[in-house]
Amino acid sequence: MPANDLLDTVDFVRDRSEELLRRFARSHRGVAYADLRLEAVFHRSCFANDGEPRESLEHENASIGVSVWCEGQPRTGGSIGVGQHGVEIGGLARHANKLMPAIRASLEQAYERARAGAKAKADLLKRHGLKSLGPSLDEPLTAPAIRDEVAANYRDDPRTLDPQALKHLTREASAAICAIGPQISYNMVSALSEIRRELFASTEGSVITQVFAFSQGDCYVVAETPQGHQEIYDTFGQQRGFECLAENWRDELQPNPDLVSFGVAIAREATELAAAPILKPPDHEVTVVTDPHFNALLAHEIVGHPSEADRALKMEAAYAGRSWLLRSLAVNEIGKVIGSPMLSACSDPTLRGYGFYRYDHEGTPGKRVMHIDRGVFCGFLNSRATAATLGAEPNGSARAVAACYVPLVRMSNTFFMPGEDDPAKMIAEVDRGYYVCGSQTPSIAESRENFRISARRVYEIENGQIGRLYRSGSVLGDSKNFFMKVDAVGNDLRLIAIPNCGKGQPMQAKRMSNGGPTLRSRARLAGG
Amino acid sequence: MLALAELKKFAAEGARILGSDSEIAQFELYCSSTEQLVARLNYTSDIPSRGVEECKLMAADGFAIRIVTRRNSHEVGHSFIAGDLSREALREALARARRAAVIDPHFPGLPNDPRKPAARAGGTGDLIRTGNTEVANAAWAIVDGAIGAFTKGVPIESERQGLVLGGDVTLTRDRFAIAGSNLSGIRTDQTAYFSSSVTAIIKSPESRATAIALGASRADLRNKTTRLGHDAVTRAIAMRHGVRLAPGRYRIVFGPQPVAEMLCYMVIPSLTTGAFQASNSAYHGRFGSGVMDSRLTLFDQPAAAGRAIARNITCEGLPARRTMLIREGRAIGLLSNFYDAHRLASDEHRGGKLGPDAPAKPEFSAGNGYRLGEGGGRRFDSHPGTAATNVVMRTLGGVDEREMIRLVGDGIYVGRVWYTYPINGQRAGDFTCTITGDSYLIWDGKLAEPLAPNCLRINANLGEIFSAPIAVGRRTMPAIVWGAPEMFYVPSIAADSIGLSAVAPESAG
Repeated sequence: MPANDLLDTVDFVRDRSEELLRRFARSHRGVAYADLRLEAVFHRSCFANDGEPRESLEHENASIGVSVWCEGQPRTGGSIGVGQHGVEIGGLARHANKLMPAIRASLEQAYERARAGAKAKADLLKRHGLKSLGPSLDEPLTAPAIRDEVAANYRDDPRTLDPQALKHLTREASAAICAIGPQISYNMVSALSEIRRELFASTEGSVITQVFAFSQGDCYVVAETPQGHQEIYDTFGQQRGFECLAENWRDELQPNPDLVSFGVAIAREATELAAAPILKPPDHEVTVVTDPHFNALLAHEIVGHPSEADRALKMEAAYAGRSWLLRSLAVNEIGKVIGSPMLSACSDPTLRGYGFYRYDHEGTPGKRVMHIDRGVFCGFLNSRATAATLGAEPNGSARAVAACYVPLVRMSNTFFMPGEDDPAKMIAEVDRGYYVCGSQTPSIAESRENFRISARRVYEIENGQIGRLYRSGSVLGDSKNFFMKVDAVGNDLRLIAIPNCGKGQPMQAKRMSNGGPTLRSRARLAGG
Repeated sequence: MLALAELKKFAAEGARILGSDSEIAQFELYCSSTEQLVARLNYTSDIPSRGVEECKLMAADGFAIRIVTRRNSHEVGHSFIAGDLSREALREALARARRAAVIDPHFPGLPNDPRKPAARAGGTGDLIRTGNTEVANAAWAIVDGAIGAFTKGVPIESERQGLVLGGDVTLTRDRFAIAGSNLSGIRTDQTAYFSSSVTAIIKSPESRATAIALGASRADLRNKTTRLGHDAVTRAIAMRHGVRLAPGRYRIVFGPQPVAEMLCYMVIPSLTTGAFQASNSAYHGRFGSGVMDSRLTLFDQPAAAGRAIARNITCEGLPARRTMLIREGRAIGLLSNFYDAHRLASDEHRGGKLGPDAPAKPEFSAGNGYRLGEGGGRRFDSHPGTAATNVVMRTLGGVDEREMIRLVGDGIYVGRVWYTYPINGQRAGDFTCTITGDSYLIWDGKLAEPLAPNCLRINANLGEIFSAPIAVGRRTMPAIVWGAPEMFYVPSIAADSIGLSAVAPESAG
């Protein structure tokens, strides 16, 4: 038996992974590369609604994912085939006589799929008289072997947490929202705390374990007044334990109140907004000052997603779309001005945001990737294969939501970098414009070259003073135009936890952070 | 996948154990085996690619339990266990469910159906036994057809670079067994269906076209997918040199895919008991009254010949039945799971939420409680939520597409939209999306030049589309929405004065 605690099965497999992969590669013809990922998770969550507890859950799971690269037979053109297999094995991972055969079976299945893929590709090339679909993808992956163990940062372990603690907290928060008054017609509060332990091992000799702690609070409120209604949904999250839900968390970049205060603040905002008029904006471009919460979604949709190399290389063309930053390998925005010299943006998994990690799911160390440096586009987040296609160094951005899923190129902590302007002064300098606060829903064009992002609150600015509050306002713009017109960047950088960024087929909903400081630019607004 | 007999055996054994526990008043045991095989298409003629990016299989087996304690009929606990269908695992699940139990004053008990469910004709076709190779072969055939059509259709060598082909062939298979104190016998169900969506983009000048296939048999998988790559590329070639339009208000024919997107992201989520209970339905206060044009009827059909999804039993063990949602424009039914049906029916504020035209004592059928994972397979580790299956829109007085275009006169045919989201919350009914391809200008009652992809954004409200359309289509066509668990069978709809804003030219990737 590997262990009683499911998370300890990761150590059990870690100690056997090198030998397992070595034997597999030696005994299967044409294996150019193989990797194994194993993950064990303990999860505790609870949700309450309209002041009453509704559901609580405690569960654990373990999943396996393997990837095999196989060189085809010379007589079939020698194409590389890639096969993957993912399976959720759950509590069976505790049993060595179930776990190790399951890993071996996954490797076999992936191998067969890789071989079949190599042959099918070779047949296709032959039929169409093509030499290759992609030379850079037909090179076996190479990377230095890494051995490391990365610990998580938490105080209150979800495994030993009193099950009642989370129930009480969500119920208390929901009841506190109800107590605000009859304007609150519905509320839902949920919270989770979980710990994940991951293994990555490859035929290159890498053996890496990482532990993550995630805690998250979510709140949804519907408020109604005689003037109208307002829905608000918001989240906070930390790579911490339960402590960040129960207490104010005074993190410099990503602070959060306790869950009860968070819910009450959202409910008060919804109530105020429900009584506010719907924005009827002018039919021309106006000066907009956007706050960090709004800019988190802007950074996510307009900087982060288009900076994903798989998307830029058209691998997501049928799903989440392409990127306005790369039309082709020859025609793209790398090294070109796409924004004001005041604007910089990056992804940085080394910051302790919701998107922190040390290594991605291909065993590559994560590092800060500059996307926009003083207005100039610098580069993409990548995986090892997409890095090879782009002629770039791998930067450790290939990640999956669970070991049984295929890694995709994902954001980490992706944000606009802070400037030197005082946000209050940025508003005071505006004669006539709008102060746009909080993000709601994004809708972006297919290459993210255009967006409409709805805000929670839109205030008029007149003669440098914040004026009337409106609801149902959106910022509507072309991405490059908006970035070029940025004329002030605040010094108030904030990161916001994003709980569910969707990408891929099947969909993988990933956690990350996005953010930015206050920005000032020009755009059109849309109302309701 | 685990065999149905194995699931049934575990459900029976588990039911005996849970039923003999003196502290448990009610219980439910659901065990499932699910597989999703995705062969993802990725061919780019001027960028290295793999043709079929990977052929990946994800499999998950496990079980979930729900228990109600004897000490309080509102005390309910639930838990699930992945992978392990053993007595030991059941004991662990029970301990967890006890620890997780909450007292929910609105909990109505577990779903109750003491009658033996009627035997249904039909059942799952041969796709449940399809090998992985057939899915991979279908994907390679699509790439093959696409390259062939591109090579043949773009004769000028300098223009030959620039085909992007994306999409997938996805096979979803699930089977489950459910037993419960409030259900007669062990109930089982299984489903297997595939969907394939292919997008072809021709670069310089850019055009974009799509092709889809849905089905529930091996013959469908072979026959319906074979030409998808060829068809998408051929259409994309024909759509090159698309024109841009100035922003403004236009008459628009929305094809089946845009109608499906609006239904998926705006209408269907609003036609649930949960949405009315939460006061966030776009039809808040309008249940029982006209919410769409009287020519439109909308229903959910979990099992019928010719539909991709075929479900006989919900994941709460209840018979899956057709749910009429909108009949001739009036909202008369809601999708629901068991809990939400009771919750709304007993809500003291339901009068205001449903509206003055609702019945005084409404009853909502719990025919849509499904445990769905990402992408649609039924899974043990999802709580029973409310979901549609095959969403069907039928019309009265529908016209064929040619007549619809004639009635529009001057306007746009929109064949594909993207990112259709409720922009000001669901209840407001406001939405926005962009037109990404498969679209044409309409001049003088006829289709004219293709519309350049990604040049216009739609900013509209549900009412503008469905309340007083210029014309509604006669035929329903299948449509897929990325990431959605439902399949759609919908007509085209023509609407007047829809607001469009411009997207910057020459900026798509």
